[in-house]
Amino acid sequence: MNVHSAEMVYSHSFEQLEIQNKPKRFKTNPRNQFPLLKLPRVVLLECIENLDVLEIILFSLISKRAKTIAKLVHWSPLDIHLGTECGPQIVLKCYTDPDNEWVIEYNEDREPSEYPYFDSEETDLTVLHYLFLNDNGNAIEDSKQMTAHICEVFRSPISGIDLCEESEIEWIIKFQPTLRNVWIWDDAITSVETLDHTFKNLKVTNYFYLESVSTVEKFQYKEPIPARFLSIRNSYWLTLPSILNGTNSCVRLQDSKLTPKDINTLLKKWQMGLKLRTLEYLEIKSFTPLDVESFTNEALKDLVWTNGDENDGRPTNVEIDDDSTYTLPEVQTVKNLIRNDGMIGSIFEVFEDDNMELCFSFQVWSKQI
Amino acid sequence: MSSTEQGTSSAAPAEPTTAPESAAAPEVPESFYYVHGKDKVVHKVSAGALQHSALIHGMISNLGYTEEQAKANPFPFENIDGDILQMVVDWCNQHKGKPTPPEDTNLPKQKEKLFDLVLAVNYLEIKELLTYCCKQVAMMVKGKSPEEIREIWMIPTDAEDEAAEKEAKKRAGKEAAGETAAAAGDAK
Repeated sequence: MNVHSAEMVYSHSFEQLEIQNKPKRFKTNPRNQFPLLKLPRVVLLECIENLDVLEIILFSLISKRAKTIAKLVHWSPLDIHLGTECGPQIVLKCYTDPDNEWVIEYNEDREPSEYPYFDSEETDLTVLHYLFLNDNGNAIEDSKQMTAHICEVFRSPISGIDLCEESEIEWIIKFQPTLRNVWIWDDAITSVETLDHTFKNLKVTNYFYLESVSTVEKFQYKEPIPARFLSIRNSYWLTLPSILNGTNSCVRLQDSKLTPKDINTLLKKWQMGLKLRTLEYLEIKSFTPLDVESFTNEALKDLVWTNGDENDGRPTNVEIDDDSTYTLPEVQTVKNLIRNDGMIGSIFEVFEDDNMELCFSFQVWSKQI
Repeated sequence: MSSTEQGTSSAAPAEPTTAPESAAAPEVPESFYYVHGKDKVVHKVSAGALQHSALIHGMISNLGYTEEQAKANPFPFENIDGDILQMVVDWCNQHKGKPTPPEDTNLPKQKEKLFDLVLAVNYLEIKELLTYCCKQVAMMVKGKSPEEIREIWMIPTDAEDEAAEKEAKKRAGKEAAGETAAAAGDAK
């Protein structure tokens, strides 16, 4: 290298260094900048504590350091629901701030440069604060990552999830196999193997809703499904042992293949106190060639029952969780079974003309003293 | 709004002006103390106003100064700019003996001033004013995108943080090597 070329290299390097050392050009006027990270730690955290839920999330996304700082604050635990409403949606509630809810949605309504944007909506009970993020074709994956991020920052688990795809089921089993509430929608489960895998690996502690399993295979499921409130549409595959050996409080089955004889077995075991000790409500909808009277006679065969009426103090709804209840069908009369501990089992049937299904209901309750 | 006049910039305490008092004269004569910042301008502040500052209140309680002694020994806060100390004194006077309102609209809008004010208020341990300042800092990023928040709060990117960390390690290594060499030199 001659002197001239060496000089050129040095001068080039020097020029690069100069460029790097130039003050960073901010779109924001430097006078309007605030060196947050230079504040003493306690003051910095007090500033961060004044952010609302969506602002905390955005702040924690800025960098690893920002995320670490956000995690240092002991936020009130969040109720995190990963749902679906025209695309993935993350709904956040704060136990200490019931008047507000925060919703993160993904859409492609605007130019990419316009994201994120905010909106809010006032309902009778709460103010909904929306954060809209750009759906760049990968919204499901993005929402999963965002949910995981929120769980980490707020040290809160996912409380509920809507599952629409098999890949989502796989993800949640790996990420958080125990959940409070789960909804599995049509076509999310497409094989018996996946259904079995889901039941074995996903523990639902409160509410479990399952729509149709999309498979042509005929199969039966005999194991209990542990959830306090179990609701299955198209439940033809669920068998008597699954219910009898379960610890569910509420069970709602549609399109069931359980027969009046199966129901008779259930009622007898309940009355003897051998099974279904935690049952509060059982609803079985099925297509039957029998009329209501014949169906009832077979279901109540060899059981001692008395007539009851609507004014005997029987509750008219069943609690799903803290926020929601299930309202029971209205009937004029019921047939009551009494268990030896004084619990009453009220039986009532409704024939639903719309879908030609017989809805058999069994509600367990006790008279208030 | 200022409650004191600018004093002369000298080590000796300048003749301060009295902070405006409420219309109703106190039954017991109020005691006054004196503070100055980096600019050496002395501010006369009543003990009542200074109660907002846990730091100064603690100092006053321990000293038991007479009026003359207090005047002769203003509390020096060399780490606080004069205009910032002025703001603090004003705030303490405005909120003397009053319940603090939920919001304070008189805080500086310029972010560089707010930064210095936050540091001063934190140092002087004025809890209510610090709460207002922190709320104001949080308000800066209301409705902003992550990139805008990054700019406003001057938060480095991960790459910038990593580069700074490397640089700090390199510097620490050099310093350690320098100390070792110096120790070896001393031993010889």
